[in-house]
Amino acid sequence: MVLARHLYKRIMRRGRVIGLVALSSVPALLFWLVGFDDTDGTLTELYTDILSSAGYTYAIAAVILTTATLRDERDSGTLPYIYMRPMSRLNMAMQSILAGIAAVLAIGFGGWVAAVIASAVLGDLGAAVPSWTLFASAGVGYAAMFVPLGYLVPRSLLVGLGYILVVETILANAVTGLAQFSIWKIALSIYAGVEDGFGQVAVESLGPVTPGVGGGVIKLAGILLVGLAALTWALKKRDAL
Amino acid sequence: MTDTIVVTELSKWFGLKVAVSEVTIGFRPGVTGLLGPNGAGKTTLLRMIAGLQVPSQGQVRVLGEDPRANTDVYRKISLVPEDESVYERLTGRQFVELAARLAKTDNPTERARVSLQEVGLVDAADRALGGFSKGMRQRAKVAAALVSDPEVLLLDEPLNGADPVQRSQLISLFKQLGGTGRTVLVSSHVLNEVERVSDRVVAMVDGRLAAVGDVATIRAAMTDKPRRFYVDTTDPRRLAAALIARPGVLGVQVDRETVHVETSDAGDLARQLPSIAVAASIGLSKVEPVDESLESVFRYLVEGR
Repeated sequence: MVLARHLYKRIMRRGRVIGLVALSSVPALLFWLVGFDDTDGTLTELYTDILSSAGYTYAIAAVILTTATLRDERDSGTLPYIYMRPMSRLNMAMQSILAGIAAVLAIGFGGWVAAVIASAVLGDLGAAVPSWTLFASAGVGYAAMFVPLGYLVPRSLLVGLGYILVVETILANAVTGLAQFSIWKIALSIYAGVEDGFGQVAVESLGPVTPGVGGGVIKLAGILLVGLAALTWALKKRDAL
Repeated sequence: MTDTIVVTELSKWFGLKVAVSEVTIGFRPGVTGLLGPNGAGKTTLLRMIAGLQVPSQGQVRVLGEDPRANTDVYRKISLVPEDESVYERLTGRQFVELAARLAKTDNPTERARVSLQEVGLVDAADRALGGFSKGMRQRAKVAAALVSDPEVLLLDEPLNGADPVQRSQLISLFKQLGGTGRTVLVSSHVLNEVERVSDRVVAMVDGRLAAVGDVATIRAAMTDKPRRFYVDTTDPRRLAAALIARPGVLGVQVDRETVHVETSDAGDLARQLPSIAVAASIGLSKVEPVDESLESVFRYLVEGR
């Protein structure tokens, strides 16, 4: 795990971590601000609505981190130091994606803790607790997709942000087929599987994706396998510079 | 001696630009200088040997293996890249230890200490690489490359930025490594550096091999280029007159006590010069080839393209 640890430490620069935790805490901040006016005891519905509509800030943070996992090495010319090692390319791909997942989960944990604190302040400690499943599953999905993309594409961050803004927020709501492959919707469906009190906005944002842990986890596992295969292929077949 | 690196019909192109063109060569243990002007294809060749770049055509075998297919061979290969890039936030020691751990060496801490000592970086080992001078970074990169005790060491412009003392130390280190049976390939566009590092030279120009061998052999093989000598003598005019009649002598020029001779047959001139001097009762005090240096040879190679 030397490589995973190295990559994790490299991408988790202090300034970047502070900025991205703040970004992923935006839903918690909105929840805290709006929650004071919630007098009818529907804090969970309010939180799920906010998270499903403003939670993209976490997705953006995840894309920034995961595209940087190997892209930082390529852009700074240090890739040869990790590439020329007696390590199978599958192992290298696994450790790279693992580093991306760990980094996103650390950032997501910050956003989640902020949400839990906000829900405690508002008087319903449990409102935000189950949302960890959303942070965690979205983190895994984004790492599986964007660590390989970061390795392959020079302007991967722009591509990633484009994906969030165009595919996840627009196309996935308009095209039924695409919705099934939206990482955010998959993660939201897993969250819906563990949280009964979804608000109206949250239910609508799921679109045609059926809530449920099992189906969501299977889709995520598929995305993870595809990401792993793509990164292994790229490490084997493409110039490593 | 068996070649440890074998490159066959190797080419690399980027769109329409050909960086390396049909290079076939073997490298054996010892130090070899890879010489060429900037843009000659040295870095691309080294990167393909290191497995960092995929050849467009041809193949690379290092210690009998294709590095891209069998990553285990990376236990025995190290590269010092040309780029100045290092992990700026790590200290020299952390950087070398990271290299040791990634290379799966036994006792990485001790190996890192030894490597840092070899390149003379012990005193600065606990400072961040970001604060290192260019020469110190080069040495840190060399230490990181040595930490796995590689059989094949690829050094891309390793002396860039090093001061004269550091240069001298690094050159001694490379020679020492080459002397212990390792294959050390040192690229440089600075003739003087290559001349100091190794007698065996591979010259590249425009992505192609221009010459391979020691400097004298390469020069001798360049039969289309006349050889020039300075001959210091007691009677330059009589010597010039005697020489101009010799077959193979293309021209003579007298400059005070020195005769500049241009010949197409250096061997014949060397054999006959003493007899000519004795026959004409002329004293010779010095005979010196003018264009035997690597610089002259390389100038011819580049001009010939």
